Amino acid sequence: MPVELRKVSYTYAPGTPYAAPALKELSLTVGDGEFVGVMGRTGCGKSTLIQLIAGLAAPSDGQIFLDGENINERQFDRNLLRQKVGVVFQFPEIQLFETTVQKDVAFGLKYLDRSREQKEAAVRQALEWMGFDYEAVRNRSPLGFSGGEKRRLAIAGVLAVMPKFLILDEPLAGLDPLGRDAFLELLRKLNQGGMTIVMISHDADALAEYADRIVILKDGMLFKDGPAAQVFSDYKGLEANGTGAGQVSGIAERLRLRGWEIPAGTIRYRRLLDEIAGRWTQ
Amino acid sequence: MRQLPVGLYQPADSVIHRLSGSAKLLCMLLLLIGVVNTTTLPGYGIWVLLTALLIRLARISPGTALGSAVRLKWFFGVILFMNLCFYQPEDPWVRWWIFSPSYAGLIQGIQVVARVFLLLAMSNVLMVSTAPLVMTDAMERLLSPLRLIGVPAGLIAMILSVAIQFIPTLFEETDNIRKAQTARGARFDSPRLWDKAKAVLPLLVPVFLAAFKRADELSMAMEARGYRGDTQSRKKKYPPFQTADWLALLLCAAVAAAFVMIR
Repeated sequence: MPVELRKVSYTYAPGTPYAAPALKELSLTVGDGEFVGVMGRTGCGKSTLIQLIAGLAAPSDGQIFLDGENINERQFDRNLLRQKVGVVFQFPEIQLFETTVQKDVAFGLKYLDRSREQKEAAVRQALEWMGFDYEAVRNRSPLGFSGGEKRRLAIAGVLAVMPKFLILDEPLAGLDPLGRDAFLELLRKLNQGGMTIVMISHDADALAEYADRIVILKDGMLFKDGPAAQVFSDYKGLEANGTGAGQVSGIAERLRLRGWEIPAGTIRYRRLLDEIAGRWTQ
Repeated sequence: MRQLPVGLYQPADSVIHRLSGSAKLLCMLLLLIGVVNTTTLPGYGIWVLLTALLIRLARISPGTALGSAVRLKWFFGVILFMNLCFYQPEDPWVRWWIFSPSYAGLIQGIQVVARVFLLLAMSNVLMVSTAPLVMTDAMERLLSPLRLIGVPAGLIAMILSVAIQFIPTLFEETDNIRKAQTARGARFDSPRLWDKAKAVLPLLVPVFLAAFKRADELSMAMEARGYRGDTQSRKKKYPPFQTADWLALLLCAAVAAAFVMIR
């Protein structure tokens, strides 16, 4: 279920002194089953991109297609869009509101045509994915949890619907290292199960490790787009852009300066370790 | 956030923008007195012209200036209807059940709507042409004589300025939450009224929680930085009124006086 943006532009508050272009004729296609990392400095249009794909804002110009259908056409079924595209916003913990965890996580399932048992199974699955004991938390108030737990509950609420296309806006900010790795592993598992994932993050290390493709935005336009190994190999270019290319690329670059022959595209930790270990045994 | 919130300050260089905040507030009060004392149709005609002139002078687009008033069209409709049907039940055109529309009621309804509409438009010009901080400063200045009788002018101004500064934040937060819940399947954009009503709770609960949390955090941050309320009597120097300020005040006073006297 590909998502395709054709020459999409978006301007905030047009026609007022506050008018600001956020995206300029951006064209981008995300294919089925991809794991795309989106980077860029603040104000480059990342969050706008999410809102446009999720149909929460309409582009000033250009079209967005989901499975070949223009999502901003009048006859397009918005509910289908909500079902197919799940969004984890920045600080999703603010969206909790129900009286129990069970109800809150099931909120997105309300309008879906599924049986009671299926819905309960989906809620249980989502909560377990996010590291909760279903029976222990189902009847508690979601507002009584700690900040990090609330975030995981909110993400469970998005995952319960099992969207085919999952967008995440800075989901890693504020997670502890253990929770971060567990969450990234979960995303990888979901992606391998067929879910298309678009993750916005400033965490170049995480994206280098998990994403297949990297898209970097700059001033509302595409700055880089390609396989992660290729994009992150341009260590100097990314550092100059202020995006960063991740520690592994940085170490590889330094070793190269010392005369080591580390192949381009060494962006993952394991790979780098193998390279170094390989030289050691020689 | 495609649409800007109503009454958001829009920087520009116009005669109205350059007036001092307190002069503008006083002018607004004077114009309010004038509008409330208008009773004749030609009188309202003059006010419409005056409002148009103000909008023109402030270089605001008519859409921005009248936006808030136009949004209240249902409210206006209800007010008109209520006045028409209940204002003067003694001498109605027809009598049906509890409704008794009358000529006097119609006139009264039109008057109320016209007054509220004009006041909204004018106060919108004031809001759009005055930066929030200038506005609270102006309020503090106008309230400061009341300090003599124990009114905590500084405190009131602080409360107002905090409240005003919260508006865009809350607006943005509401927008964020609305988007998050929409993405989760809440049906704010559904044309069905029942769907809309059901979607209110997922919006209201988080917005209130966030507002309380923010207020709490702000008060802690203020205390941490040594704010202790209006304990020290601070003597602020305000810039004196310019010729333009006096002129504006004089004009508004003249208009208000004229309408009061005609009545």
